[in-house]
Amino acid sequence: MSAPAADAQLNDPVLSVDKVSVRFETREGPVVAVDDVSFGVRQGEFLSVIGPSGCGKSTLFNVIGGLLTQHQGTVSVAGETIDGPHKSIGMVFQEESTFPWRTVTDNVAFPLELVGMAKAERVERARHFIKLVGLDGFDNRHPGELSGGMRQRVSLARTLASKPKILLMDEPFAALDEQTRLLLGDKVLQIQQEIQQTTLLITHNITEAVQMSDRILVMTYRPGRVKRIVDIDLPRPRTSEIVSSEAFGRYVAQIWADLREEASRGMREAEDQVLHHQGAES
Amino acid sequence: MADTGRLRSTAVGAPGWVSPVTLLRVVIILTFLAVWEFLSHSGWLYRDVVPSLVRIAAALVDLLTHGEYYFNLGVTAAEIGLALAIGGSLGIVVGIVLGANRFLTKAYEPYLYYLGPTPKIIFFPIIIMWCGVGPESKVALGALSCFFPLALSVAAGMRQIDKVLIRVGKSFRANSWQMVMKIYLPAMRHPLINGVRLGFGFALIGTLLAETKLSNMGIGFLIINAYSTFDMPRMYAMLIVLFVLSIGANALIGRLGGIESIKRR
Amino acid sequence: MNGGAGAAGTTVAKGSSQAGGRHRDDRLHKALPTLVGIASVIGFFLVAELLIQFGVLNRFIIPPPSQILGSFGRVITEEHVFSRFLLTATECLTAGVMITVIGVAVGVAMHRFKLFQQACETWAAALASAPMVLCYPLFLVIFGRSAWTMIIMGFVSGLPPVILKTIEGMAGIRKVLINVGRSFNLTRSQQFWKIQFPAALPSIFIGVRLGLIFALINIVGTEFLINFGGLGQLIEDLAERYDLPGTYAAVCFVILVSILFFMALEKAERWLIRAD
Repeated sequence: MSAPAADAQLNDPVLSVDKVSVRFETREGPVVAVDDVSFGVRQGEFLSVIGPSGCGKSTLFNVIGGLLTQHQGTVSVAGETIDGPHKSIGMVFQEESTFPWRTVTDNVAFPLELVGMAKAERVERARHFIKLVGLDGFDNRHPGELSGGMRQRVSLARTLASKPKILLMDEPFAALDEQTRLLLGDKVLQIQQEIQQTTLLITHNITEAVQMSDRILVMTYRPGRVKRIVDIDLPRPRTSEIVSSEAFGRYVAQIWADLREEASRGMREAEDQVLHHQGAES
Repeated sequence: MADTGRLRSTAVGAPGWVSPVTLLRVVIILTFLAVWEFLSHSGWLYRDVVPSLVRIAAALVDLLTHGEYYFNLGVTAAEIGLALAIGGSLGIVVGIVLGANRFLTKAYEPYLYYLGPTPKIIFFPIIIMWCGVGPESKVALGALSCFFPLALSVAAGMRQIDKVLIRVGKSFRANSWQMVMKIYLPAMRHPLINGVRLGFGFALIGTLLAETKLSNMGIGFLIINAYSTFDMPRMYAMLIVLFVLSIGANALIGRLGGIESIKRR
Repeated sequence: MNGGAGAAGTTVAKGSSQAGGRHRDDRLHKALPTLVGIASVIGFFLVAELLIQFGVLNRFIIPPPSQILGSFGRVITEEHVFSRFLLTATECLTAGVMITVIGVAVGVAMHRFKLFQQACETWAAALASAPMVLCYPLFLVIFGRSAWTMIIMGFVSGLPPVILKTIEGMAGIRKVLINVGRSFNLTRSQQFWKIQFPAALPSIFIGVRLGLIFALINIVGTEFLINFGGLGQLIEDLAERYDLPGTYAAVCFVILVSILFFMALEKAERWLIRAD
């Protein structure tokens, strides 16, 4: 674990997460969601954080995005410590997050509107990113008229339009069906390679992570720690066709071996908790 | 959405000729008018309680051709508009503040919730002492009446906003003003418009009741004046115009929300 | 913050033994907003009292709260508050029974005869938004200065929401419940009493509650306007006598009564729906 972390330091990471821990107070007592997590994301790199449900991935997402500030340790972007949402970080959420009352163009132009960009300019830039995600022709539609996959692409374009140094995504395809998910993964990969977008993807899907990443950070089940960082040496540019290659299969198997342990521990603990609860109630 | 679907299906049901729905409506209206006219000539009811349709129509024409009526209509409309502007904007602000803060909701919303439906007209004697007997007191009662429904529906609307939209706004570093104008208000446009509709209804009733109680101008004054001189046809004529206007205004406010939701789909 | 979180992290094992203490904290934490609410209401009256005592506010416009509180007893004993309250309550109750029986019946009928519903539902909705209370002179002519004017006033203003919500409830029944009924070969009346009506009940209750609220507003309002009968007249009476503290006390009394009324209504609704 320490070797790649040191490596990242050498390469001067754009985003560095340093000894971050998060604890929550719950009714059952305090829960350590994220425990002493450190890693860096280099310029132009695609890094995925993978882990079983309940490993604190989403907590980490909120901490890096600056939406959750009650944590120990520091997160910094290009040397600046984060203590709230930072302009260099663009977030794409897991949930449906387009504004139903705005057209596609107005949705994508939203971050530009906030910083007071002139209308003509922001429409032009919005159009560029709408085209980039492959939605040209839908500029004046409302999200209600689009499919789930298209809406998620609108969210992606909206975040890209703010030109973040780092694109931060929390399971952006989780709510989509398998085929849409693969195709959309292709799209993200293509865009990322085209504009050299530094990206941090949070996911629980191994195929998705291997298909897109340069490195994958595997997290343990509660408390969420860094279990291993795996370098993915697959040729670029990639598409979803890589899924059928032998090397791909090896990576998937390797990560699943790591993850299975954590996931089954998670499942056991969840079951225990249910039993415990029933015992306490009766 | 379901509403528009239903409306459309009834409209589509009219193949060239008249649809059964329209036919039934016409039949009901004609029956009602016929019974009315019959009652007016039967002499069963006290004189003029049910005046002949002809006399009501004449009163209506008489009403609409005199400038005096329009002056009073203008007074009432201005009072209601001002009441809605004052009470409504206060209600929206209070609703946003309450809806955004769980602590304040728990501390103060019960008071709003239970004060909301109490009849506001009972405050009128107090309001007269504060604001005098002129139009100001009518505006004050109207504003008081529409404050509660608006504050309550905006607070409820705030809580219904999809949390992820708020996180999106924060992640793009929107300031408080931008959050309110670009996220909160548009995200709760449906409960908001519903609240404005309710608020309008309450402001209307509050203002008009205050006028009937004590005033020397406005529609409420004209109506109670017609009653005290027992000019029933004129009273009916004014009630008809008033109902048509208020139902129309209500539909118009609703339409503001309706168009938007159709465009969205 | 960080220190606190760190300390919490090390006391995981002790968590269960501290549960008792945390519960007490929880309770205080839960009651705090309510306490703040009550405190600010009391604070508001205290500030008003002080401002009036020091002459910042004119005591001939706003009597000090202490004086209002003092005249409460006088108003209750001298002004036959109890019989007035009974009169208003009876009017409300009568109107309430009328809107429930007639409103639900009309709603069910409109749901059954679709054509009738298509023709008239929008009318009912329009009437709900029209200022029916302005018709009070009309009922005054028909019923004279009697309780029936108030009851009918409450009835016409409370009827539309009951009709609309009954239709909504009947139309909103899940299709599968109807099919369950069919699968048991229920007769038409069994289908109605065992499936449709109970399923529509929550919506009907909302309608009845709305109807009762409108009825109460209009009944008290009309009492005040025509200076007749119950609680509404009480305020008008005292105001005409320029009995300022009395007027304020009466207003407070009516507010209290209506708050209790709505609370009872809420409790009843919850109880009835749960018992279902």
